[in-house]
Amino acid sequence: MAKHTFRGGVHPKEWKELSRDVPLCEVNPKGEMVFLLAQHIGKPAKAIVKKNDTVLVGQIIAQADGFVSANIACSCSGTVKAIEKRRTVSGAMSECIVVENDGEYRKTEGFGEREELSKISGEEILKRIQEAGIVGLGGAGFPTHVKLAPKDPSAIRYLIANGAECEPYLTCNDQLMRRKAQEIIEGIEVMLRLFPGAEGVVAIEKNKPEAIAAMEQAASGNDRIRVLGLPAKYPQGGERSLIQVIAGVDYPVTMLPADIGCIVENVGTIYAIQRAVLYREPLYSHVMTVTGDAVKNPGNFIVRDGTSFASLLEMAGGLREGVKLKKALAGGPMMGVALSTLQVPVQKNNNALTILSFDENEKAQQQMTACLRCGRCTTVCPMGLMPQMMAAAAQSKDWERYEKKLYGLECISCGSCTFICPAKRPLTQVFKQAKAEIMALKRAKAGGAK
Amino acid sequence: MNTVLNISPGPHTRDRWTTPFIMRMVILALLPAAVMGVAVNGVNALLIILSSVITAVVTEYLFDRICHKPNTVLDGSAVITGLMLALMLPPSSPLYVPVLGSLFAILVAKCCFGGLGKNFINPALAGRCFLLISFSNTVTTFAVDGVSAATPLSELKAGRAVNITQMFLGTSNGVIGSSILALLIGGLALWAFGIIHGEICFSILISFTVFLALFGGQGPDPKFLLAHLCGGGVVMGAFFMATDYTTSPVSRMGQVVYGVLIGVLGAMFRVFGGAADSFSYSIIIANLVVPLIDLFLVPKPYAYRSAAIAARSGNERKTLRERIPVPVLVLAVITLASGVALSGVYTMTKDEIEEQKLAASAASYLEVCPGAQTFEKDEKMDQVIADQNGEVYGSGFGRVHINSAVIGKDSSGNTVGYVISVTSSDGYDGDITLSLGLSPEGAVNGISFTQLNETPGMGMRCAEPEFKDQFAGRTVPAFLLNKEGSASSEDEIDSVSGASTTSGAVVNAVNAGLDFFRTNMKGGE
Repeated sequence: MAKHTFRGGVHPKEWKELSRDVPLCEVNPKGEMVFLLAQHIGKPAKAIVKKNDTVLVGQIIAQADGFVSANIACSCSGTVKAIEKRRTVSGAMSECIVVENDGEYRKTEGFGEREELSKISGEEILKRIQEAGIVGLGGAGFPTHVKLAPKDPSAIRYLIANGAECEPYLTCNDQLMRRKAQEIIEGIEVMLRLFPGAEGVVAIEKNKPEAIAAMEQAASGNDRIRVLGLPAKYPQGGERSLIQVIAGVDYPVTMLPADIGCIVENVGTIYAIQRAVLYREPLYSHVMTVTGDAVKNPGNFIVRDGTSFASLLEMAGGLREGVKLKKALAGGPMMGVALSTLQVPVQKNNNALTILSFDENEKAQQQMTACLRCGRCTTVCPMGLMPQMMAAAAQSKDWERYEKKLYGLECISCGSCTFICPAKRPLTQVFKQAKAEIMALKRAKAGGAK
Repeated sequence: MNTVLNISPGPHTRDRWTTPFIMRMVILALLPAAVMGVAVNGVNALLIILSSVITAVVTEYLFDRICHKPNTVLDGSAVITGLMLALMLPPSSPLYVPVLGSLFAILVAKCCFGGLGKNFINPALAGRCFLLISFSNTVTTFAVDGVSAATPLSELKAGRAVNITQMFLGTSNGVIGSSILALLIGGLALWAFGIIHGEICFSILISFTVFLALFGGQGPDPKFLLAHLCGGGVVMGAFFMATDYTTSPVSRMGQVVYGVLIGVLGAMFRVFGGAADSFSYSIIIANLVVPLIDLFLVPKPYAYRSAAIAARSGNERKTLRERIPVPVLVLAVITLASGVALSGVYTMTKDEIEEQKLAASAASYLEVCPGAQTFEKDEKMDQVIADQNGEVYGSGFGRVHINSAVIGKDSSGNTVGYVISVTSSDGYDGDITLSLGLSPEGAVNGISFTQLNETPGMGMRCAEPEFKDQFAGRTVPAFLLNKEGSASSEDEIDSVSGASTTSGAVVNAVNAGLDFFRTNMKGGE
């Protein structure tokens, strides 16, 4: 049933050569560390430490508030300085725990001792993942223990380890797979214990031959796991694109991957799962790429949560001489968020800092012309939507047509249409707004009905 | 480091293709046809192209200035409109024609409807149709070395042989951009680069060919089909006109429907209609349908297509209904039905038309062969005519064809004269067909026109006795045309003043008839 690739998609320039062969490097920052309470989809965590409390590496400092929420672990040792509103990646001010880092990195007790997987029950696996505060590291930040607890675990056919990494510039998953292949395979084995009928599929774009080789070697002993090389195309690493390829079918936004027997986890998340389940280590650090044409030494770093983006840039040697910083992105250029300042803390689901000396959006605005109706957006849409018509419907605020006839809410905001548009129209941006507006109207309607 | 950085919603990277880049590619793709047109037709073609392009650009620039709109000239779309319009004009057009056409195309069809991306019909085609209506003679007359001549398509319409190689290279009579080879190079390159949609151009070409093969009256004859494909702007239309982004549907399914509509309409106009420019009209009609296609033919996202739903529910077998797209079926049925209906009407009326033609020729036969009771055919002469095989008769008579020759007999079976029907294609406006009556001795009894569509008050005056009675009663090997109106000798004919083209064609037709009589009939008695 597997297909060669999904339909549509684009080929942005990869720029992965900047950082792909730079080995992982662990960095311990100094100064204050800021832990955002809302780093995941769902309810923000509740702080369980007070000002002036002493904290250790791996200590849970905020607890999940409800099922769809996640714990937050401290990534350094030191004292709680404040619990206050700080600017975050999204640009908004949000409640954070601020810890003054003593630079000693003292750990909690019983931390990092390996246990045998066979001795851990399925329930215990889920419990440990939940305690570790693991969320999807691919970007969305969905609490993993929720994802791994579908209604019917036996109906899961594919457990997909997402190592596609289709986003330009990013190489953190590539490096992780090359250096920690065995650990990732163990992480998949942990999850396969939860889903007896599932096959583990490691999906990697073919532009990462070393990662494919490393994963294939690590998986060679387990016949429930196979490695699948995929053509390099954006958004290959999108959940729905991967499922289209591996399960051969797409599903509407109203369904979950588990409803058609698929679970997709980023390889970074899987590594965190392995640490959490086998070593009882909470999630407090992950691999990030610091890259871009304005960075002196682009590379991949094991970054502790709460580190500021400014110190990430310092780790990578700072700006190249004579280059002016024009744009900083949390993430890559397709899905990343533009930062107004680097003085914001790293969250669990941040995977990169891209520092650029140019701003293509600014240039695109100057080049913008009227829509030509060339139809390029419709050929690249990985969901089979009609972005040109959606934009026209959104412009005339014809939400009925937008939602019912054009299925506009199926948009995954991948940005392919905006990328390809020769008239440089801001399509994805319009769709994000349209989605927000339709949702607001729906809420208003539901409220009015009461 | 505390300065505020640029922020903007993602994505933060863009493809290199821009609107002006695409427009430049289209201009490049049109260049081979333009160069070929100038090479074949000379400097006037170049002047037409330049005046058309310059008018288009200046018009758009001035419109933007006057209306305080951002200057859109640099995107290059006005250049394309001007260039395409020029390529659809005859190389003999006076320069005011491309200027007026471009002005109309840009001002009325494009700018007044909101400019780039908003116009509802292709501006270049709108300009051409404006010219077709306003200056129909100029735009559809193709002169070679100052002599007007028929296009391959009108020859084809008249059922005569055409030179496909010439049409393919663009060296036969036609518009500036009539080189199929050059157009194909540009068009296929655009398709290969992904600038135009193959869904549109190939569905046009395929549906056009299929319709002609089914209903064209000559079956799947490759020569006939190729000649139709190479003539009348089908290639230009399919690759450059119909694929205009703004006036074609966005969805693939819509594009196929739109292409089939153009192909079928174009072929229908070819088979049953009159105008050689029908392909322009079929594209314009399809342009008008595009908003409807876009409104209703919206493909479902992958997640909602029946196959995806069937696979989700575990039932992957598709029914026949799902495997054959319904719109294709519906369209095929509509096309077949309309084709059958039209060909039915044609077949039913065909005999009637033939009878009327026969009656008309019988009347004209009698006019030039008085005293005859019956007109009989002669096998030998019919064979000679058949051997001409649609080729031009003899030499020195222009493009003349002998249609038929009959022997007039009285009630007792004696030969009282001969009638030869001759057609000349050298008229000012279409074919001239006349019946030439001869006495058994070879003297001209008179001539009578069965087909004459010349300019009223000019060429039409050839049918008046003052001109046509000059032939009667003379016995000469051939007539000479006197353009001064001072005919003196036996074999001279005074031209209708101001209509020397028509007069000349008539004299040539008569001479061809006389020649045919001398070589094939007189001696054969």
